[in-house]
Amino acid sequence: MAALLRALRVGRALRGLGSVVSAPAAQPPCSSLTRGFHRAALRLQDESKADKPPSSSPSSTPYHEHYRAHSAEQEAAGAPQEHSASEPAAEEASRPNTSYQDQSGEQGEEYETEEQLQARILTAGLEFIPLHGWTVEAIAAGAEMLGLSSASTGMFYNGAGDLVLHFVSQCNSQLTDILAEQHNQIQLGQAEPKKPAEFLRDAVEIRLRMYIPYIETWPQAMSILLLPHNIPDSLKHLSTLVDDMWYYAGDRSTDMNWYTKRAALTGIYNTTELVMLQDSSSDFQDTWDFLDNRIQDVVNMATTAKQVQATGETVVQGLMGAAVTLKNLTGLNQRR
Amino acid sequence: MHRAAHTAVYSCSKIVGPAMIRQCLKCRVPQQLSSRAYSVVPTPRDSEEKEMLHRILRVDHAGEYGANRIYAGQMAVLGRSSLGPLIQEMWDQEKVHLAKFNEILAESRVRPTALLPFWNIAGFVLGASSALLGKEGAMACTVAVEESISEHYNSQIRALMEEDPDRYTELLQVIKEFRDDEIEHHDTGLEHDAESVPGYWILKNAIQLGCKAAIYASQRI
Repeated sequence: MAALLRALRVGRALRGLGSVVSAPAAQPPCSSLTRGFHRAALRLQDESKADKPPSSSPSSTPYHEHYRAHSAEQEAAGAPQEHSASEPAAEEASRPNTSYQDQSGEQGEEYETEEQLQARILTAGLEFIPLHGWTVEAIAAGAEMLGLSSASTGMFYNGAGDLVLHFVSQCNSQLTDILAEQHNQIQLGQAEPKKPAEFLRDAVEIRLRMYIPYIETWPQAMSILLLPHNIPDSLKHLSTLVDDMWYYAGDRSTDMNWYTKRAALTGIYNTTELVMLQDSSSDFQDTWDFLDNRIQDVVNMATTAKQVQATGETVVQGLMGAAVTLKNLTGLNQRR
Repeated sequence: MHRAAHTAVYSCSKIVGPAMIRQCLKCRVPQQLSSRAYSVVPTPRDSEEKEMLHRILRVDHAGEYGANRIYAGQMAVLGRSSLGPLIQEMWDQEKVHLAKFNEILAESRVRPTALLPFWNIAGFVLGASSALLGKEGAMACTVAVEESISEHYNSQIRALMEEDPDRYTELLQVIKEFRDDEIEHHDTGLEHDAESVPGYWILKNAIQLGCKAAIYASQRI
């Protein structure tokens, strides 16, 4: 009987038009414990949202408005998770009703897209990383915790890669949340604008600290990201991360500086990440010192470059002056 | 005081109902939480639109940058001739165009083309060498380039109009205004005996071919 139910569940999960079905029978009796796990799993997502001030602040650029819509959308993606965490029974009961009625695409309150479901499973799977590492087993354990069949890992064609990429993109969105928040604070006049170097230093530190809970297994995750079929995605995440950091640091360049700045920050970020992997000092102080030094290097290089350019211009002016003087002396400058 | 106003607005939006907002957001229509303020480019709804808009802006920025450098090259050679003031005037208009696109690019977070240093040098060389052919040569180069650019702007206008004229009104306005300026430059060039340069047909077509290649490259790279 249980096996039949299981098979039904798997069939519905795979066949469903993107709607989520989990058999009410699978609801674990200790729902409060599940809720606890849910809360812990959502900790990462909720951290930055915990003390989020009003969303309608006067962002000066349209990008922020778009960003707000995006983050609100992600909050909505997070909302079904919180919703399901707090009222699992109610949602279980209503979901089977809506799953067949909503086939026309009319989105009811309980409708969840496949992407949202995948995101939920992967986020739940993050809990099991310390136990299983960055593997499909972790995803399966996460699915089971949500009351779904472990066969739902079949949804993830990339296996562990999906888990790592999901985590990376989640961290990136959290960082963007935090940076946009800081930006708003500055706009509202409640905070002082930071210098770019200091801003970037803080941003990189915030971002790398998100890896601390998973630092034991992070080398495994990095090697997964370096697999050939994952490289385009991981590069895309890295480039959007660096672009966001520079944007909020105040970079608005539209020439080659756009490229050089991002290349420099990518180098800093990657090397600092590698240092962090083998750092054993307390609270990773060595890593932050390394970061400080690298940023200082780049700042020095930029200053030196400016100085060289200024010197070069002066030298050229001097040479031109000398040439004109010579022409005057030899009488070649006369106009006859 | 600022804060009070914002908390008031926030509580207003709360009254609308988080459930309704959540529903709207699940429908994948990003809620425009406030007016677009002053922004020429609307926020892209999906990655396709973003790709299209970014390509358009990238290539337009590259084009104005190149045009700038072409006029700089022409001025370097013909700056002190009788054509100097005219070229300077056209150059100043291009500077305005470039400044506008710089602003738009920064605002919309568009990646500038990586070929900028190349267009820097190539534009200057083109302007200078066409000016070395004489005043008519410089004017012929202007005619060729401006014709390419206005044709290119026209095709962009057509594409945007096909997509959604209402959504892109400000952007269309900007492009139309710039296109009109470029056509004016084109006509000025013709008025100043561009066609009397020997080998006009070859020169014009060669330059236009180069422009087409530049446009193709800048859209992608």
